[in-house]
Amino acid sequence: MADTATPSKAKVLVVDDSSLVRLYYRSALETAGFEVKQAINGIEAMEKVLSESFDLVIVDVNMPRMDGFTFLRSLRSSAADVATLPALMISTESGQQDIAEARIAGANFYLVKPVAEAELVRHACVLTGAAL
Amino acid sequence: MHISLEQVQRFCEFLYRRTGMSFAESKRYFIDRRLEDRITATGSSSFQEYFSLLRTDADQEIEHLINSFTVNETYFYREEHQLRCMTTSLLDAIVRQKKPGATLRIWSVPCSTGEEPYSIALWLMENWQQVDSYNIEIVGSDIDTRALKAAAEGVYGDRALMRLSRDIIGRYFKPVTGGNYQIDEGLRNSIEFTRVNLIDTKDMTQYRDFDLIFCRNVLIYFDDASRRLAAENLYDCLRPGGYICLGHSESMSRISPLFRVSRFPDAIVYQRPEADHG
Amino acid sequence: MPLIRGKKGGASGETSSSQQGALDSPDADSRWTAARALAGQADAVPALAVALAREPIPRVREAMMTALIRIGNTASVEVILPYLRSQDASVRAAAIEALQALPDAIAPFMTPLLSDGDSDVRLLATELARNMKASEATRLLCELIDHEHHPNVCAAAIDVLTEVGTPDALPTLERCAARFAATPFLPFAVSVAMSRISGEES
Repeated sequence: MADTATPSKAKVLVVDDSSLVRLYYRSALETAGFEVKQAINGIEAMEKVLSESFDLVIVDVNMPRMDGFTFLRSLRSSAADVATLPALMISTESGQQDIAEARIAGANFYLVKPVAEAELVRHACVLTGAAL
Repeated sequence: MHISLEQVQRFCEFLYRRTGMSFAESKRYFIDRRLEDRITATGSSSFQEYFSLLRTDADQEIEHLINSFTVNETYFYREEHQLRCMTTSLLDAIVRQKKPGATLRIWSVPCSTGEEPYSIALWLMENWQQVDSYNIEIVGSDIDTRALKAAAEGVYGDRALMRLSRDIIGRYFKPVTGGNYQIDEGLRNSIEFTRVNLIDTKDMTQYRDFDLIFCRNVLIYFDDASRRLAAENLYDCLRPGGYICLGHSESMSRISPLFRVSRFPDAIVYQRPEADHG
Repeated sequence: MPLIRGKKGGASGETSSSQQGALDSPDADSRWTAARALAGQADAVPALAVALAREPIPRVREAMMTALIRIGNTASVEVILPYLRSQDASVRAAAIEALQALPDAIAPFMTPLLSDGDSDVRLLATELARNMKASEATRLLCELIDHEHHPNVCAAAIDVLTEVGTPDALPTLERCAARFAATPFLPFAVSVAMSRISGEES
């Protein structure tokens, strides 16, 4: 019998302290078929990734209380089921040093703000293995 | 008073940023009603007037607002999943570092009229195999001396006991006048009740070496600076590796970066790290 | 179960100068305790400034920042401000958080911060306008946006205006959307901000 199950939507966590940025990313990702949850800083992001299963986390660098780098390091040193979560880091910085630092902290990919919707969705698809 | 979608969005974003509370689209009516109630209660003539008041937290509006969005009743075995987390996960982790007979210190702050510290004691006796292997100290503290007095008396009505089985009530409480029940004298004597102010550092530094703190449904009401200070004080009261549990609508993401987020089967709790890292 | 409270801790009884000395201790716990004991003591600002600059342990830095917040005067703001320029994102986060707790003390610094030569500093400073009175925040942020070339700085300012902006911001926002019509995200941000602000009038 052919498998007729619909694949469940990939689930993405958007982490940015700007409500406008979260709204923008969420709208683009939901239109592309992703399920989207949000967090306002690295601490809330840790709580969410430890409570629910995600396929991708998109994380800003500059956030109060816990920045994106600290979150990533914390994520990568967590329990195995969470530590391997693909992470797309988004920053205002475009220097080679910042990109290198992001890789060292554990980002799978790095984009520079402001990010276009199409660019965001394309990378989300690649990192979650979803069809483009 | 008609509140526009944009106004509700502005309000919801403020509430989310400040407290972490968020609501699905389907809860729109729930939000609208409460927002209208608060606008009326504050005598505001428009949403804009109310929102300015809210942003400055005039007349403790944030506290009133949060109260209107959360249910804040105290009763025995409230947020039972945290009690379960205590006996199925937290205590095991804590006693790994301790010898048999060692002291385990648990703090309920604020303890209000005592339901929480007594619940901790009851739960331990009913659910923790090793309850007799350690010297357990439970401290219940509050800023309100009338609440503390009531806690020490240990008299409760049906509503406070609603989550307890008849069996537990029968074994640990006795009926007193007015259809109330008083908790066992042994239990009353086993909790140390004290007055404390979470943001008074000098006061708080007298409390040391706690393994587990329940600090539920109070920090959410404090302003930014007070939340930060209270968290720092609580960190100082914990042993390295000790745990702190917050209330169901609360998150350290809105309070302090000092603690590590820890996941257990029954709850997310926060831990004072065992050691410093640079 | 016995009723022992636990041994007394804390720094009560020690003088301010001995606590300031303890900020130098090789032991992190001693530095932590000293910083907490100095909260609210204005004469400790210079010692805290020196200690903060070389403090490697994040939670001790946090306590030192808290001590400065509780002093809360111009001198403590001046100690914290340079950390907005740190290369370390966690230090910048701590500095912004500390300054957010001092809306009155930071007010005189807002105009210089919002016109700082470093776009990263301007960007972070927009967040500090969030705790201000709506009319003042609107004035400062519109002034910034009207002269700002950097899209991310504008975006940050627009985010704050979405919460606190008054209808006075509408012309600036329209001009901003026109200037950045070809830039990702900015037109979206402006349109949300404008509808939230105009929503006041319905």
